Amino acid sequence: MTLREFLSHRLGPMVGGLCCFVVAALFLLATGTRPGVVALLTLGFLLIFVGRYTVEFLRLRAQLSELEAILEGLEKKYLLMECIPTPKDIYQRKLFQLTRRAGKSMLEAVSQAQAAQRAYRDYIEEWVHEIKTPITAAQLLCRDLEGDKRRKLTQELAQVEAHVERALFYARAESPERDCVIRQNVLEAIVSQAIQTHRSLLIQNGVRVETQGLDCTVYTDEKWTAFILGQLLQNAARYRGETPVIHITARPLGQKVALTVADNGLGIPAHELPRVCERGFTGSNGRRRGGSTGMGLYLCRKLAAFLSLDLQITSQEGEGTQVTLTFPATAGAEE
Amino acid sequence: MQTILIVEDDPVIREELQLLLENEGYRALALEDFADIPDQVCAQNADLLLLDLGLPGRDGLALCADIRRRSKLPIVIVTSRDSTADELRALSLGSDDYITKPYNIPVLLARVRAVLRRSGGQAEPERLEAAGLRLDLAKGQVWAGEGCAELTRNELQILAYLLRHAGEIVSRADLIEALWDSQIYIDDNTLSVNMTRLRAKLDGIGRPGCIRTRRGMGYQL
Repeated sequence: MTLREFLSHRLGPMVGGLCCFVVAALFLLATGTRPGVVALLTLGFLLIFVGRYTVEFLRLRAQLSELEAILEGLEKKYLLMECIPTPKDIYQRKLFQLTRRAGKSMLEAVSQAQAAQRAYRDYIEEWVHEIKTPITAAQLLCRDLEGDKRRKLTQELAQVEAHVERALFYARAESPERDCVIRQNVLEAIVSQAIQTHRSLLIQNGVRVETQGLDCTVYTDEKWTAFILGQLLQNAARYRGETPVIHITARPLGQKVALTVADNGLGIPAHELPRVCERGFTGSNGRRRGGSTGMGLYLCRKLAAFLSLDLQITSQEGEGTQVTLTFPATAGAEE
Repeated sequence: MQTILIVEDDPVIREELQLLLENEGYRALALEDFADIPDQVCAQNADLLLLDLGLPGRDGLALCADIRRRSKLPIVIVTSRDSTADELRALSLGSDDYITKPYNIPVLLARVRAVLRRSGGQAEPERLEAAGLRLDLAKGQVWAGEGCAELTRNELQILAYLLRHAGEIVSRADLIEALWDSQIYIDDNTLSVNMTRLRAKLDGIGRPGCIRTRRGMGYQL
């Protein structure tokens, strides 16, 4: 609050007070009080007048800055009304009580929405676990089929699995701290887990995968990282070129480790590149080919941020795409 | 013959798993009654237990810990819960391995083999012999009589698969899948290149034409 704001707010009572005093002074002069006494009274009045408003201004300013400090310190700003002292002024107090009641009802609405979201997330997770049993049964039943049919059906089932997996991680990404366990992992194990999960898609598309330098240690959650790599592998297989090859290469970057997944596929047009990680964004390749969900890279970015992985995508249209995941330094972890 | 005990509540998975393991040369038993599982498991005297964590109305992890307290039987947990936290919990309660549904069948079999091997069963054969060829898997060498050739990792795995299926027609697709199981992620063209080199090496040790091409079907040793 500036002095100007305060003065314009208090203008009415101030002018009123001054007018009253002028009238009283004139009355005193008219009734024969000596001018010296009136002058003294005027001086006294002005001192009290200025003092009163100065004190009020300072008090209000202190109160407001205290409130602002409380708000600054709150992680959930909407809890402000629960944290500030009750005002002494009768009108302010009534207003405060009304606002607090309104705030309570909003808090209830918020916590209900949060509970509903948690319940929904739990249901999705439960559902995903349920659906995996029939998928497993179907995969086992596939074995009895003759070669080509078996491979095709296996691939379809793998696609179902990939969609289900995305739904699971979408639900998990909302409250990631619940399932994430950061620990020491060998990169090779994570990469091979991701490749094996998507092998039928990769084999069916005639993809060759070459790995290099994966015998290094990273600190991350194994399942989440495998999920991210899985999305990259699926993209590489989906938007492949003539003779698809994926190079998965790791190299140390000081304390960090950079893992690059590079393909020789269709590539991403330069003007679409900044948007590929947006939720629901399907680029021209995705639209032409169909079946793109616009979820894969969105989830990658979200999960990578939570794991403190740096995700960089570069691409040349018609030549290929390179995605680099940089794993954080091991500092702070066990030596 | 090694015995594998299956505890799984889904009847289709149970039956198919049983068939699969029997085809692989194990004796496969399955529990159909889920009362007193630890008692039943200990009574069976199996070599390995495949335990599904999602049995109705009971905590699979508690079950696993219970069995572990009473027996040293290797336990492989099969579950649809796949977070790292779940996995660590299961391993800390005494299971020997942890496989998530839906699983790749070759991966499942490889993990079962590995656990059985660790638990003191027989070691993986280091030599394969068929069609006048002797393959030393550890050294990566193939012998025909006195002739010997060094093989690369890819060639070794190709020949090993053919030797394991000697006499059968092996399709290129099956061969590629088998190689992916061994972390060799090749495509059709690379397979052709490797096959040509392998044949040249077999040529060099006096076994020309021992891998025949069956047009439109695959290869046969």
